[in-house]
Amino acid sequence: MPSFAAPTHIQSTPPLSSSRRALASPTPKRTVQCNFALPSFSSSSSSSSSTKNPKPLKSFFKTLAAASASSLLLHLRSLSPNLGGSGGEGGGFGGSGGGGGGGGGGFWRELFSPALAIADESQNQEWDSHGLPANIVVQLNKLSGFKKYKVSDILFFDRRRWATVGTEDSFFEMVSLKPGGVYTKAQLQKELETLATCGMFEKVDLEGKTNPDGTIAVTISFTESTWQSADKFRCINVGLMPQSKPIEMDSDMTDKEKMEYYRSLERDYKRRIDRAKPCLLPPPVHREIMMMLSDQGKVSARLLQRIRDRVQKWYYDEGYACAQVVNFGNLNTKEVVCEVVEGDITQVNIQFLDKLGNVVEGNTQVAVVKREMPKALRPGKVFNIEAGKQALRNINGLGLFSNIEVNPRPDEKNEGGIIVEIKLKELEQKTAEVATEWSIVPGRGGRPTLASLQPGGTVTFEHRNLNGLNRSINGSVTTSNFLNPQDDLAFKLEYVHPYLDGVYNPRNRTMRVSCFNSRKLSPVFTGGPGVDEVPPIWVDRAGVKTNITENFTRQSKFTYGLVMEEITTRDESSHICPNGQRVLPSGAISADGPPTTLSGTGVDRMAFLQANITRDNTKFLNGAIVGSRDVFQVDQGIGVGSKFPFFNRHQLTLTRFFQLKEVEEGAGKSPPPVLVFHGHYGGCVGDLPSYDAFTLGGPYSVRGYNMGEIGAARNIVELAAELRIPVKGTHVYAFAEHGNDLGSSKDVKGNPSEVYRRLGHGSSYGAGVKLGLVRAEYAVDHNSGTGAFFFRFGERF
Amino acid sequence: MASLTREWIGINTFASATQTKLLELLGKLKQENVDTLTILVMGKGGVGKSSTINSIIGERAVTVNPFQSEAPRTVTVSRSRAGFTLNVIDTPGLIEGGYVNAQALEIIKRSLLNKTIDVLLYVDRLDAYRVDNLDKQVVKAITESFGKGIWDRALVVLTHAQLSPPDGLPYEDFYSKRSGALLKVVRVGAGLKKQDKQDFAIPVVLVENSGRCNKNEIDEKVLPNGIAWIPHLVKTITEVVLNGSKSIVVDKKLIEGPNPNERGKFLIPLIFAFQYFFIVKGIERAIKNDIAREGRPSWE
Repeated sequence: MPSFAAPTHIQSTPPLSSSRRALASPTPKRTVQCNFALPSFSSSSSSSSSTKNPKPLKSFFKTLAAASASSLLLHLRSLSPNLGGSGGEGGGFGGSGGGGGGGGGGFWRELFSPALAIADESQNQEWDSHGLPANIVVQLNKLSGFKKYKVSDILFFDRRRWATVGTEDSFFEMVSLKPGGVYTKAQLQKELETLATCGMFEKVDLEGKTNPDGTIAVTISFTESTWQSADKFRCINVGLMPQSKPIEMDSDMTDKEKMEYYRSLERDYKRRIDRAKPCLLPPPVHREIMMMLSDQGKVSARLLQRIRDRVQKWYYDEGYACAQVVNFGNLNTKEVVCEVVEGDITQVNIQFLDKLGNVVEGNTQVAVVKREMPKALRPGKVFNIEAGKQALRNINGLGLFSNIEVNPRPDEKNEGGIIVEIKLKELEQKTAEVATEWSIVPGRGGRPTLASLQPGGTVTFEHRNLNGLNRSINGSVTTSNFLNPQDDLAFKLEYVHPYLDGVYNPRNRTMRVSCFNSRKLSPVFTGGPGVDEVPPIWVDRAGVKTNITENFTRQSKFTYGLVMEEITTRDESSHICPNGQRVLPSGAISADGPPTTLSGTGVDRMAFLQANITRDNTKFLNGAIVGSRDVFQVDQGIGVGSKFPFFNRHQLTLTRFFQLKEVEEGAGKSPPPVLVFHGHYGGCVGDLPSYDAFTLGGPYSVRGYNMGEIGAARNIVELAAELRIPVKGTHVYAFAEHGNDLGSSKDVKGNPSEVYRRLGHGSSYGAGVKLGLVRAEYAVDHNSGTGAFFFRFGERF
Repeated sequence: MASLTREWIGINTFASATQTKLLELLGKLKQENVDTLTILVMGKGGVGKSSTINSIIGERAVTVNPFQSEAPRTVTVSRSRAGFTLNVIDTPGLIEGGYVNAQALEIIKRSLLNKTIDVLLYVDRLDAYRVDNLDKQVVKAITESFGKGIWDRALVVLTHAQLSPPDGLPYEDFYSKRSGALLKVVRVGAGLKKQDKQDFAIPVVLVENSGRCNKNEIDEKVLPNGIAWIPHLVKTITEVVLNGSKSIVVDKKLIEGPNPNERGKFLIPLIFAFQYFFIVKGIERAIKNDIAREGRPSWE
C-alpha cells in the first residue's frame, strides 16, 4: 500500500442570514481544504511505483457547526499507512512498504471518478472465462497472462489459525481487489507482491478456484508476521526529518560484514530516534497502548495495525488531520517505536485572488490577515484543522473578503511539511446602496392624493479597507420624505480606525469617530397608571462622538471617549419646548411642567466623557446562555456646555446566568435549565437634565409596565430573577422584577414622576415562552394588579 | 393677595370684654418686641378656614365660598391696631379629587415667598367623626413644604364647635377624643417623634363661626363648654408665638427644596476616581481572570 492520501475537504456554506452586508456584497464562500497526498515516506526502491487507486481506509463524514454560523463540512479520507519491519530481521526497519508516489493523483481520481469508473466497468463487461473445469484450485502462476479474470469472491485464510477470516478483519482492508472485479494475471501478481512486501505477512499466497460460471474465487492464504514481545512504546514525530537511505545489502557479504551492517543500521536508527521530536500523543493514550502491548504476548502485525488505528484516531479526533503513522520501527527489541508524520507547518502563504481566481497583489496588508491567524497556525506548529477553522472564522470576521480558503498542502521541498495556503478574494472597496420607499399619506378628506405621495429611503455608502489596513468610512442618510428632508432626516457618518497601536502590536484598540443624530420619545414624560395621555416630548440628539475600544476578548471590551452633542426637546408638533406639558384637571393643557433641559431653553449643548467596560464570559451551552455579564458605564460631565454641566452619571449592571443542571455538550443535546439574576443600579451626582434621568418600566427595565411608567429618577435600582426551562427546542420562563427610585424622583428637577402621577417603584411577575426571536409573555403589574399579554423582540437580559 | 394694611376696625364689633382681652394680649406681644404677627391658615377645603379668619378679624375680609373654592390663590388680610400689625393668610383647600392638590400647594408656597410665618392654624372640623389617610396626606404635604419646624408654631383649630355630641357623649369627652385622634394623625403625618411631642404639645382650639353661636351674659361668643373662644384663640396664638421656637421664613430654598443638582457636586472628582480605580480596574481584573481561566482548545 504505497501511497498515502489524507485528503480533507472542508467547505463552508454561508449562513442564510439576510444581513445588510450580505445583501450588499456577493455571498461569501469559504473553504478550508486539506486535500493532499503525503508522499511516501519509505524508500524501498525495489517496488515499482504503483498506479493503483488508493483504497480508503476510513472515511469520515462530519458536519460541524462553527460559531461564526458558517457550517463546515468535513470529508476526511485516509489510506492505510505503511507498516515497516522486514520479516523478522533484527533492526526491524527498512525495506518495507512500497515506495511509489502517485498518491496525489489517486485522491483526485478517487474523488472524481465514480461515474467514470462505472462507465469503465460497463465497457469491460466482457471478461474471459477461465476455460478450466469447475472446482479446481489454480495457482497464480498457472493462470493465463492473456485473460481477464472475473473474481467472484475473495477469501482470506489465516494459516496460523487455520481458519478463514471474515471481512471485518483488519487485514481485509489491505487488499484492493474487490469481489466482482475483473483483473488480469499481472494485476493479481502485483497485488500479491504488494501484500508480500508490506511487512505484515511472513508469507502470502494467492490462488484461484474455478467456478462453474467461468469466474474464479480468490483465496489469499497468509502467515502473519510476528515479532518479539515488547514492553515499551514510544511515539516520535519524524516529519521534516531526512529519510535515511538504507545501504543496499550486498548478497556476497560475509557474516561478519552482515553483522556490522545490521549494527550500523541499528546505530543509525537510534540516532534517528534521539533526534526526532517528541510527538503530541498524550500519556493516557500512551498508557492505553502499553496495555495493548502487555496484554498481547508477541507483537503481531494485527497488533501493530490496532496501535496504528488507535494513534491515528487520537490525532484525527484532536483535529490533526494531516497526521499519519508512517512506520513502526525497532521491532524485535523491547521497544516498539511508532513513527508519525504529524504535519508540521513549514510555511504560511497568503495569496490574494481576483475574480477569475488569478493570484494578484492584494490591497489588504498581509499583516492585517496575519494577526488574525491563531498561534497554532504558525510555522513550526503541527497543522490542526480546528486552528484552520479558527483562522477562517477570524479572517471572515474582518469583513474584508468575499471568499476565504484555508488550504494545507504538502511541502514539496520539505518532506512531511505542510504549507498552509490562505487564498482570499477581496470585497469591493467602495460600495453604495440606495433603498427607496414610497409612502402614501392621507391627504385632505382622508383620501390619498398625488401630492401626498412621499418618496423616502436610505442612502448608504461605505469605503472600506483604506490603506489596506481595514480602516473604513461609512455613512447613511435616511428620511421618509426626500422632498422635505428637514422633517426627519437621520444621518450617520462613521470613521473606523483599527489597530490604533500599530498593526504589529498585539494590543487591539480601535478608534471610531462618528457623527450621528437620533430622535426618541422621552420616557420621562409619560403618565403613571390611570393618567390620561401625557403630551409626548421628543428628544433629538445630534453630535460627534470619538471613542477608543479595546477588545480584551470577543465579548469583553473597554470603550472610552468624548461625546459632544446638542439635545433639543420638542413637542408633538416639532416645536422646541423648554418644559413638559401637563393636562390640568379642568382639561386645559399647561406648559409649565417639569423642565426638559438643563438650560431651560429647550436646547442643551454639552461635552462629556463616556466610558463603558463590559465583562462578558457568557457562552452558549446547547443554545442556552450561561455565564456572567457585568457592564459599568459612566458619563462624566466636564463643565463644558450650556450652564456648564458638571455631573457623574453612572450605571452598573450585573447579570448572572446559572446553569441548574450539568448537561452534556453537543449538537442536538438539550440545554440546561438556567436561573438568571439581574441587578441594575443607576445614579447621578450633579447636574441632571430630565432627558438623562433614569426611567423605570418597560420591556428592558421592569416588564409588565410601559416605558417609564414607574418613574423617572436620579438613582434607581432594578432587580430581576428569571427561571428558564427548556422545552422542545425552545424555553419557557417565569420571572419576577422590581424597580425602585430609592426616593430620588424628587431629586429630578420638576419631579416629573410626581407631576405625571407615578409611584416611583413597582414590581411585576409573569411567565412566557420564547418563539424564535419573539418573546410572548404574560406579565402582571403589581401596582395595579392587572396582567397583560406582551410580544417583545429580543432578550431582556 | 398682598393688600394694604388697614386699620383694624373689626375689633370694635367684638364684645367689650373680648376687646379688652385682645388688646391686653397684643400689649403682651409688644412687650416681647413682637409687633407683627403673620398667621397662615391651612386645611382641607370646606372646613371653615375663611370663616375663621373673618371671625378673628371681625369683618368680612375674605369671601367665603361654601361649596367650591375659586381659582386656587392665597389671600392676605392685614390689619393694624396701635402699632401692631396682624397678617392673616388664607389659603385654598388642599384637597382635590381625593388627592392632595400638589399644584395648589405649589401656588401657596410661591405666594408666600419672602414672608415669615409666625403661626400656622391647621383647620379641621370638630364634627367630623373620623380621621383618614387624607388628613395624614395633607399634614404630610404641609410638612414637606415648610419643614417639620412649622409644627412647633402650629395650632389645631376645630371649627363647628357648637354641636351636641352623638350618642349623648359628654361634650368634653367627644372633644378630647376628636382632638386626640387628629393630633395623632398630625404627629404621624408630620413625622414627629415621641420626644418632640413632649417638647411642644400642639394646642387645640375650638371655634364656632356661625352667627347662631351662643353668647354669654357679657355678649361674648361662647362654646358649649362655656369658654369665650375668640380671646382663647388669640391667647393660645400668643402662647405659641412666645414659646421660643423660630418663625418659618419662606425663601427660595424652602420652596424649591435644596437644588438636587448641586448636592454632592464637589464629590464628583472623588467619585470618578473611585469608579476608575475600584470599579473599572476591578472589572478589568475580572476579565483577565476570565481569560486565564478560559479553557483553551487542546490544539493551542
